[in-house]
Amino acid sequence: MGDNLRLGYWALGVGLVLGATLFVSDPYVASIVNIVSIAALTAVSLRFVMLIGELNFATAAFVGIGAYTTGTLITILDWPFAVAMILGGVFASLISIVFGYVTLRTKGPYFLLIGFAFTEAVRIVYSKSMVLGGNSGMVGIFPPMALDAWMPTFVMAVAALLIFVLFLIERSDFGRILTAIRDNEDVARTVGLNVLFAKIACFAVASFAAGVAGSLHAVVNNVISPGDFSFLLAAFALAYVKVGGEDNIVGPIVGAVLLVALGSYALGLGGHEHIFYGAAIVIAVLVMPAGITGLLRKGRDRFMARGN
Amino acid sequence: MQGADQPLLQTRGLTRRFGGLVAVSDVDLEIRPNEILGLIGPNGAGKSTTFNLISGFYKPSAGTLSIFGKDCTGRTPLAISRMGLVRTFQHGSLMSSMTVRDNILLGTIHGVSGRTARRSRADETAEMLGLTPYLAETAGNLPHGIQRLVSIAIAFAARPRLLCLDEPLTGLNQAEVSEALAMLERIRDEFGCSVLLVEHNMKAVMRVCNRIVVLHHGQVLASGTPADIRADQNVINAYLGHRHGR
Repeated sequence: MGDNLRLGYWALGVGLVLGATLFVSDPYVASIVNIVSIAALTAVSLRFVMLIGELNFATAAFVGIGAYTTGTLITILDWPFAVAMILGGVFASLISIVFGYVTLRTKGPYFLLIGFAFTEAVRIVYSKSMVLGGNSGMVGIFPPMALDAWMPTFVMAVAALLIFVLFLIERSDFGRILTAIRDNEDVARTVGLNVLFAKIACFAVASFAAGVAGSLHAVVNNVISPGDFSFLLAAFALAYVKVGGEDNIVGPIVGAVLLVALGSYALGLGGHEHIFYGAAIVIAVLVMPAGITGLLRKGRDRFMARGN
Repeated sequence: MQGADQPLLQTRGLTRRFGGLVAVSDVDLEIRPNEILGLIGPNGAGKSTTFNLISGFYKPSAGTLSIFGKDCTGRTPLAISRMGLVRTFQHGSLMSSMTVRDNILLGTIHGVSGRTARRSRADETAEMLGLTPYLAETAGNLPHGIQRLVSIAIAFAARPRLLCLDEPLTGLNQAEVSEALAMLERIRDEFGCSVLLVEHNMKAVMRVCNRIVVLHHGQVLASGTPADIRADQNVINAYLGHRHGR
């Protein structure tokens, strides 16, 4: 992590892209922008838990909990849109605190498996709950009319804001505790740091982001069903992280943009987009273990070295 | 309030069994203010087990542990570290993907509030251990000797009242050992921090420690000043051999 932030450039870049979304009128392009933003936010959430060295397959469950919370609040309880969006994140975060308190004592493959099982269990709960629409899910989750025309801008702005907040947390001293836990949990504990608390806090923050990603998914698609939130969602998020690179927060965003674009293109070729995903993951893992951003950084360093 | 002579740490009949094996048996240990206490013994004598019992990583099968006059038997490592007892580990006692500065910073987070105050504490600690030139380096890329110092710096950045070091001199060359010993003396004399030193390097232990406890087969074989230990016939027979005995 370099200390030269160049926040100005990033703000300018995000501002320009956000500005560009205002001119998106083609519904296909708009839907791609929405999907990319939500995918990037989900992948960044997954990567945030990777800071403590854990692969959080329950990300999919928390995206689903956010989506179902927002869906319920809007269609059944008729609550205001903004409240429904925020509570999607809050509820996912609260559930994750309980889930994390119980499960974050495990590590590695055990934690991954528990997350996987949790995701599938939650999915079955939706499909058995008649009030949530059972197998066919919920319909009619609409954003306010006034927002309808600006959806891509809105979705991207929310995603960008949350990603920026996660970035700030990662760079704080709390973020250093998280990396320390990944590197050497025992040392963190012996200098008086509450490791379990830090893990749960990390999990709660990541799950808030995942929950809001789910809320966005719900209001963008207007329809949700249990099948949207299977473990595959987490697997795709992992692909975005791995292809883009996990060393910094830009990686998952790059991965999400690239793979969603590739997937949409492949869909036009006849719907075998999963083959593209598979190939991209294989190439990423074999050829560029640090992802695209890692490869770019290495190229830049080599270029700089030659310049001297 | 604790008196000047009250021990920082005291164990009574500390015992730890692993199944049928008794790793540590009936150990009475006392660490006093402003001293460097050496814990020595051959491999398998129970040094590491004792160390883990003191720092809360193992629960004792029997016996008691009190720190600063408070009964701490069965407390968690976190609770014990928050009382001011900070330990290092024999292998890889640092965060290898982080910079030296961030490594040391980690030691300050619990005790120091405020970003700037933490950074100045970390820089000050690095300065004291001669790590200033390495602050921006990734810890995992540094030579072994420097990594050992970083481990101590992380622990000392927490400004413990009792610093427990598990074989901190292993793999250091002679010059590095001398520097490390001088540093331990500074930690004791300038900061009033006691040090528990588990170490194989006998010459170093003899040179720097105020008192030494010798473990053998999980029991205390002898304890006393370096001169006492050197002259102790049991210790000579069991461990030191005649080279040190004379």
